[in-house]
Amino acid sequence: MGKKFEITNNIRKLRFFADEMTQQQLAEKAGVSRQTIIAIEGGKYSPSLELAFRIAHAFGVQIAGVFDYRVVENKKNS
Amino acid sequence: MSYQVAKTVTNIFSGTAVLGVYLFYASSRYQAGLLVMDDLKSWAQIMLIFIGIGIAMAIVVQIIFHILFSIGLAVKQSIKSGNCNDQDIERTIKLEMVEDEMGKLIELKAMRISYITVGVGFVASLVLLFFDYPAFIALNVLYISFYTGGILDGFIQLYYYKKGV
Repeated sequence: MGKKFEITNNIRKLRFFADEMTQQQLAEKAGVSRQTIIAIEGGKYSPSLELAFRIAHAFGVQIAGVFDYRVVENKKNS
Repeated sequence: MSYQVAKTVTNIFSGTAVLGVYLFYASSRYQAGLLVMDDLKSWAQIMLIFIGIGIAMAIVVQIIFHILFSIGLAVKQSIKSGNCNDQDIERTIKLEMVEDEMGKLIELKAMRISYITVGVGFVASLVLLFFDYPAFIALNVLYISFYTGGILDGFIQLYYYKKGV
């Protein structure tokens, strides 16, 4: 059985708790485009370490509070 | 549609337009007998003219695109906030047009495909010369592969913006 790794994030939840911060506002704080925030939030793009820190800083939390790295079972290879 | 996607669509449009006009112009001149197979100087002249047209068109289209996109953003911003504060509009335009790491990564990935296309075109033109095809065909294959690479670059960028990197 093969192992696959994936990076998940809590950006949507963190935005909700940050007074329903918009993607545009987060993009402004992190210094990226809204398109990039949408891609990260949707799990379509894994940001660089620097950007991950900037996003965490925008929410005032540790990086582990925003991103999670987990192992998922790859059933196709079983 | 985001700034990056709109910009890419504009580039695809201008690249396709120049290639289309070149193909139409060159083929109609060739069929009319104004361009001869062995007259590589005339072919080179037309290609150089079209390279110039392509560069000029890309610049003009980009300028027009930026003006229209800025106007669109300004209108959207004024409808959203209910006022026409210049500073707010300028800030929105700056934010929307930011180029970041994802954009650069997508650009690099698309450029790689573009280089491969040009490389394939170059090899194809050499193969054609090897099999005794006229030199003007090889030259055209090489020229068209550059434009195709540029257009493909745009489509690859659109794909990555939609599907993610």
